[in-house]
Amino acid sequence: MTRLLKITIATFKRGLRIGICVLGFTSLLSSVNASAADFWSLNWFEKDAPIEVTVNDAFINVHNAPGRGYPIFHVVERGETITLLKMHTDWIKIKTARGIEGWIKRKDVLLTLGPDGVAPEFADTKQADYLADRFELGTAFGDFDGAQSFNVNLGYRFTKNLSTEIRLAQNTGQYSDSQIIALAILHQPFPDLRASPFIGIGAGKLKTMPSTTLVQSEDREDQLLQASIGAYIHITGRFFLRAEYVNDYVLTSRNTNQEVNEWKLGFNIFF
Amino acid sequence: METRVQHILLAASLLGALTCFSASVCAADEKEKNNDGELGKIITPDIERRHIKEADLDSEDFEVGLYTGMLNVEDFGSNMVAGVSFSYHITEDFFAQANYGTSETEKTSYELLSGGVELLTKEQRDLSYYNISLGYDLLPGQVYLSEKWHFNTSVYLVAGAGNTRFADKNYFTYNLGAGFKFYATDWLMLDLSMRNYSFEHELFGIAKKINNPESRLGISIFF
Repeated sequence: MTRLLKITIATFKRGLRIGICVLGFTSLLSSVNASAADFWSLNWFEKDAPIEVTVNDAFINVHNAPGRGYPIFHVVERGETITLLKMHTDWIKIKTARGIEGWIKRKDVLLTLGPDGVAPEFADTKQADYLADRFELGTAFGDFDGAQSFNVNLGYRFTKNLSTEIRLAQNTGQYSDSQIIALAILHQPFPDLRASPFIGIGAGKLKTMPSTTLVQSEDREDQLLQASIGAYIHITGRFFLRAEYVNDYVLTSRNTNQEVNEWKLGFNIFF
Repeated sequence: METRVQHILLAASLLGALTCFSASVCAADEKEKNNDGELGKIITPDIERRHIKEADLDSEDFEVGLYTGMLNVEDFGSNMVAGVSFSYHITEDFFAQANYGTSETEKTSYELLSGGVELLTKEQRDLSYYNISLGYDLLPGQVYLSEKWHFNTSVYLVAGAGNTRFADKNYFTYNLGAGFKFYATDWLMLDLSMRNYSFEHELFGIAKKINNPESRLGISIFF
């Protein structure tokens, strides 16, 4: 009976893992395909046409460096044509017709008109705009069954609600070190909330390396199932805090499986 | 006979009417095609009506850098450290930074004084660390070197965690630091900073929490 149960669990686990892999891989492929076509059609040495816009507001302040506190040393007025040079965080470097260079706020570009008579299309830096069709990179620090853990996660968000991620962790404990690699699917039921809860399931591998000085034991590798609950807390623009509790279920080769509680806190950035 | 003439006339007039109609339709078509005419050339000049999107504009939010300096590992001497850093500027205030550095430690005073005792092998003396930290530009400013030159600067705080590999073991390591950024241009930055790495080890038999200050000078470019 237990043998049958074991086989069932193993099959389920394998199916789940393959499913997640296929899901992740196809999404990766489709995104790579599109960019590959762009890559080959690009002429890397061609100079880009200057991006010129016309001011469509009474005036726009021009700062002398990309920061809110830097002095405003110039203003560009309605009807004036300016060239957009580059962007750094929430600031855009511009050049006026007379050759004066300075920085305007990113959102002020919406007060200009492009050559087609329409304001340039710049995504709003509100939370919701960063949620769909985005890559996500994060790091977290926490506690893995008494060991201190360092985590990195790379995710892709299909929709506002659904994302998949690869998790890597290095846990350093008093008696043993361990490493985790896992794939997970997360669901966020209320993505527009400032503190938005999520749930997730994952599967992966746990590699345990006991301290050689203390315990005479060999490295071992076990399968791992994860269930997690947590929240994304929006700080600003593409920057989120993430707090998470993970219940790890380690399928050991010993008689009993092991349950591990994992707590972590970190930050995630969306691209 | 009369009916035949009538038929011919009717056919001829029908044909005539049809040609006239089709000609007028053709002419109207032609007119529609060329309705720009001389005026059209003036109204729609031959330039690209470009729609500007965010992706058209080059953004410089990533930064990659090299650094070197001194790392003092408690009990194991002060030594050269060299590393690479990779940062992403999230907003004008916050940045995330990943660091990887390596150093080689010295013998402890005890090993030197006692003569033959060796606590660690040569390979075990190599130290490497990695971490991910969050930085905050606390005091953005500018320096004015002459009438003509001004440079952007920033005093920043940074904190994070990661791992240190030393004596064949990993140690979870917290880091805390502060530094001074000097932007030579928009895309080239010099960085002078201090970090403190703290972790706990049991190399001497008992658990000992150690603090390892690092002073470093780096250069990085934005892309």
